[in-house]
Amino acid sequence: MAGALARVIRGTKTNLGIVGPLANINNVPVRFQQTQAPPTKSKYGPLADQDRIFTNLYGRHDWRLKGAMARGDWYLTKEILLKGTDWIVNEMKTSGLRGRGGAGFPTGMKWSFMNKPSDGRPKYLVVNADEGEPGTCKDREIMRHDPHKLVEGCLIAGKAMGAQAAYIYIRGEFYNEASNLQVAIAEAYQAGLIGKNACGSGYDFDVFVHRGAGAYICGEETALIESIEGKQGKPRLKPPFPADVGLFGCPTTVNNVETIAVAPTICRRGGKWFASFGRARNSGTKLFNISGHVNTPCTVEEEMSIPLKELIERHAGGVCGGWDNLLAIIPGGSSTPLIPKDVCSTVLMDFDGLVAAQTSLGTAAIIVMDKSTDIVKAIARLIMFYKHESCGQCTPCREGVSWMNKIMYRFVEGNASPKEIDMLWEISKQIEGHTICALGDGAAWPVQGLIRHFRPELERRMQVWACTHGPSMAEKLY
Amino acid sequence: MSLGKYLALDKLANLFNILKQNGGIRGTLYKLYRQEEAKDGVLVGEDKFGNKYYENPRYFYGRSRWVEYNEKFHLNYDASQVTSEWYGWLHYKTDLPPHQDPSRPKYKWMIDGNENLSGTTGQYTPYSTTRPKVEAWMPKKAE
Amino acid sequence: MLRQPLSRALALSSPARVAPLAARRYADAVPAQPEKVEVFIDDQPVHVLPGTTVLQAAAQVGVEIPRFCYHERLAVAGNCRMCLVEVEKSPKPVAACAMPVMKGMRVKTNSDLTRKAREGVMEFLLVNHPLDCPICDQGGECDLQDQSMAFGSDRSRFTDIHFSGKRAVEDKDVGPLIKTIMTRCIHCTRCIRFASEVAGVDDFGTTGRGTEMQVGTYVEKMFLSELSGNIIDLCPVGALTSKPYSFAARPWETRRIDSVDVLDPLGSNIVVATRTNEVLRILPRTNEEINEEWLSDKSRFACDGLKRQRLVTPMLKDSRGNLAPVEWEDAVVAAARALRDCPPDKLLAVAGGLADAEALVALKDLLNRLGSEHVCTEHYFPTQGAGTDLRSSYLLNTKIANVEDADFVLLIGTNTRFEAPLLNARIRKAFIHKETDVALVGPKVDLTYEYTHVGDSASIVKDFASGTSSHEVMKRLQQAKRPVVILGADQLKSEEGPALLAYTQELAHKLQENLQDKEWKVLNVLQRTASQVAALDIGYQPGVGQALAAGPKVVYLLGADSGVVTRESLPEDVTIIYQGHHGDVGASIADIVLPGAAYTEKRATYVNAEGRAQQTLVAVSPPGKAREDWKIIRALSEVLGAGLPYDTLDEVRDRLSQVSPALVAYGDVQPNNYFAQARALAQSLQKPVSGKLDVQLKQLEDFFMTDAISRASPTMAKCVQAVLKQKNSPY
Repeated sequence: MAGALARVIRGTKTNLGIVGPLANINNVPVRFQQTQAPPTKSKYGPLADQDRIFTNLYGRHDWRLKGAMARGDWYLTKEILLKGTDWIVNEMKTSGLRGRGGAGFPTGMKWSFMNKPSDGRPKYLVVNADEGEPGTCKDREIMRHDPHKLVEGCLIAGKAMGAQAAYIYIRGEFYNEASNLQVAIAEAYQAGLIGKNACGSGYDFDVFVHRGAGAYICGEETALIESIEGKQGKPRLKPPFPADVGLFGCPTTVNNVETIAVAPTICRRGGKWFASFGRARNSGTKLFNISGHVNTPCTVEEEMSIPLKELIERHAGGVCGGWDNLLAIIPGGSSTPLIPKDVCSTVLMDFDGLVAAQTSLGTAAIIVMDKSTDIVKAIARLIMFYKHESCGQCTPCREGVSWMNKIMYRFVEGNASPKEIDMLWEISKQIEGHTICALGDGAAWPVQGLIRHFRPELERRMQVWACTHGPSMAEKLY
Repeated sequence: MSLGKYLALDKLANLFNILKQNGGIRGTLYKLYRQEEAKDGVLVGEDKFGNKYYENPRYFYGRSRWVEYNEKFHLNYDASQVTSEWYGWLHYKTDLPPHQDPSRPKYKWMIDGNENLSGTTGQYTPYSTTRPKVEAWMPKKAE
Repeated sequence: MLRQPLSRALALSSPARVAPLAARRYADAVPAQPEKVEVFIDDQPVHVLPGTTVLQAAAQVGVEIPRFCYHERLAVAGNCRMCLVEVEKSPKPVAACAMPVMKGMRVKTNSDLTRKAREGVMEFLLVNHPLDCPICDQGGECDLQDQSMAFGSDRSRFTDIHFSGKRAVEDKDVGPLIKTIMTRCIHCTRCIRFASEVAGVDDFGTTGRGTEMQVGTYVEKMFLSELSGNIIDLCPVGALTSKPYSFAARPWETRRIDSVDVLDPLGSNIVVATRTNEVLRILPRTNEEINEEWLSDKSRFACDGLKRQRLVTPMLKDSRGNLAPVEWEDAVVAAARALRDCPPDKLLAVAGGLADAEALVALKDLLNRLGSEHVCTEHYFPTQGAGTDLRSSYLLNTKIANVEDADFVLLIGTNTRFEAPLLNARIRKAFIHKETDVALVGPKVDLTYEYTHVGDSASIVKDFASGTSSHEVMKRLQQAKRPVVILGADQLKSEEGPALLAYTQELAHKLQENLQDKEWKVLNVLQRTASQVAALDIGYQPGVGQALAAGPKVVYLLGADSGVVTRESLPEDVTIIYQGHHGDVGASIADIVLPGAAYTEKRATYVNAEGRAQQTLVAVSPPGKAREDWKIIRALSEVLGAGLPYDTLDEVRDRLSQVSPALVAYGDVQPNNYFAQARALAQSLQKPVSGKLDVQLKQLEDFFMTDAISRASPTMAKCVQAVLKQKNSPY
């Protein structure tokens, strides 16, 4: 879901309404810090073991408080809290961390929006653990194997924005993850790490877990807020943004699990350390999920800007049948446009690199498809998913996605007119950017990616159909 | 030209013929009252309503065939009382009167002709199928 | 108190949502107007307040942006996306209905991007719309039709309907007033928002997601609201249409006549749609000072009662005691003979709830000429103290629109929800949007919003007035900057009525004295019928109790149908003349029936509960031999030899203006004062009270049939049945 936000935010930074001017001011120091990062670095990855943030990603060690503390969690948390809001926010800005939920909005800046003079309303941190994007499986690893990183992250992020409480909205299907997380929170409460006077810093902070009911749209931040409030998970109009009117009408920041979970380590090891990974404006380490036609599908923490080919060959055992057997890759979760093999060979896995390749980093969930894949059917299945998950609130998404779904399934058979390819492209453009939330965009992009790179395949299918069944009915109608 | 014609004796003969055929002076005056003319002719036939059909080629074409309606209609006769069988003969569509025409089809489903009742009490009046726009209040009847 | 989702707070508090200042005298303090920002709509500069939306700003320069879901009196939903416009420096089009303006914003409402966006949305809306316009009742007044003509594409690309068809949705049954054809629904959610925000019934909502999303009541049930008809007007397509009006007419066939409703005391402004001399339907007409653009169900749907049970011909009792149709001449002569033969002190005229001011003044003049002073109304009002001499004692002095500005409303013995639904909608609006609190003295009823129930004893009012009450409401009242006290006129009928009025006046006066805002009026009396205020203005005596006790010989009923005059309460040899338009209670006891005209059939003056004179216009002609009421009385006077000095309507109105200029000041409300005097005169009436306050209309089923017209209406009867059925249903 959130992957789809990437382009929106990229395009609309000046359109943030009330926060617009603020954003521009704060942009300057971020850039300044980044120019200080080593400019000559040209090779990215592999990540050294000592630089890994998620040291229990595979659940080989104890995930409970004792084990977590042994791995360095909750170490000097009180001192970090006592350094104060500005220090934490500044450190996040230095680190150049961009939101890991897909949109890639600079986290430090997002947190600084919350530090406006209080008007008496409480503030809330909401953690988006509604990881529903097909292909994405990074947050669940954090929550089931390293929940204390998330809890500690909540505390630090909460302090940075002066929040009273954190709500972790966890996907309903994540039963074990929710229970591990709940255990971790209970442990932290018992150890005095959160709750009243958290870590002895004099700061009161509560963490609540809210389990969702399995709607993909609830991963959209405002729909998530609605869902926590007990209503139908339907996105709200923006503006007002959640930083102004959010959960229960109070200023709220919604962050991804990974974003929050890396915050304590950034504070402990310094923003500059984090910024030393990856290219400028794309710094840090990132969890990559590699699934599909690879020999060893996995979730791995890697440096940003690592070449896609190296990532797959090194960690996922390469594409089934060798790199030459590769057909296409969806690089950032199901909502991002696919890229064909020749692009995959050279592209760097970071925000800017993928945008240059007309796709998006999204949640960095890499779906690899080899030549055995029916690519049209694969995309059609994705559209069916979006059709099923569309909330039905706004017209383009409700009507457009189901229309696209119908057309896509005809394309799978080939029972269509080649002229309809352009029509489908136009329909996807009519949805994109015209909806309340980014789900419509996320549904439109896979189709656009397919048409952009696999148009000959679509036309071939229509020819085959026409050979066996005679011209399609659509040919006469359209 | 014969003398008789010269003296218009044939006209006189016709007059007497007419008077004779129409039942004398009285009868002729009655015919004139009822039909506004009195002619002499050959009775060709009679239809089932009792109307009598005459022909006299002496009269010019168009007036040489006529009908005298049944006495029972008196003055209320009407062209629609001519039955459909006789209509053709009367209007010179055919020269064969119905009873002398063997080729005339006869079917079971043929019904007798009706006269046109417009203007009489038996006329058809369409009734309104629209509902009244306002339903009036009906006061309760005292018992 | 969390009365609305806070996410909507922004949109709801926008200036356009409350009645314009012109309608309300008391604009909320007008707090130092924030500086206006300049924005450009199609390069035309316009200065608007911050917080205004792009759509509103565009409306100010006369640029209308197409919309489906946006409605100025409802919260912003922003889900139809029809109002997308291009804003310079924004890569995506923005929803004009929800986007607040920003300084220097340049909006392009006619650019290629905007047009393409609209066309795209239009196409999507039509993908699953059945396009059954030829058999759709909305045809001709359908926003979707109009906008697809104006903004849609000129050709169709829906090849897929030949493969898989369109979506079909089961119709819902929401009662006898609203017909649903849900396949036509475009999910604008206006009906949902109206139900939850204005009507206060949270039965409407959406179920399902995506294409399967449906608007409806979650379980099938009736839309139990007295304002339900308004969602028919709100629906931009033909998904919700009027059941009684279904397949009746096309909008271009009807003639529309502006008029005024008389079925409740508020005098809502209406449009009467007629065709071939028949009232087909009634629609609300916007009047910010009274009904905004809403209309109650009774006012809207009772119009089919105008076609039934009508008196279409004069009637006289024959020798067997049965009413038989006669000519006007016979009836008028018979009536004149009865009036002439009657000693003046045995003559009584009673005016009912639907009588117009012209007829009222003519009848009063006639009786005065005959030497009688016995002209009464059906509803009682205390005559002790100031009585009806001071207009402020019997009016809704705060005015309907100003109730929005109140910060505390005390209702005494009135169920505003059913006695004056649109006043109640105003109170609810204040409750929701302005945090106004409400308290009620009287029986516990459902007002659609929360209120403090103080009790149902009349002594509570006494305690409030004397200041001895320690109830929390008393404190709230005293602290309130703009309190409103509304007393139901029904309470004044009882023995303790005068005392109750006196105490209410005392309470209102005490509250008013402490106010900063000296212009604010606290005291309100809510009358029950449309004619009462005009009748009291003209000088009718309220109530018939005394007059009936005197044993009249001739009773002239002018549309008196509420059943206070009965044969049993009158002497044996009495002659009853009934003049009115429906065969109801009055006509069934009459000896002589003179058929009059209903409110859609005459040009007549009605004064609403605020004291605002308004006029109805002739929409259709009176049925059969029925005539306009004042003309009947004028003709009668001629036969009696006591000819009234007016022959035309203008002359009758001149007479009205002699009685009171307020009666012909159409559209205006004269300011009322003399509260202090009224209270001083009433002080002696402050006797101990102990009774219980009760209201007549408690439940929704009581609401529908309250007068001669609505009692004759089959639709209203169906409503009552449906409500009772719904009440027995487990849902």
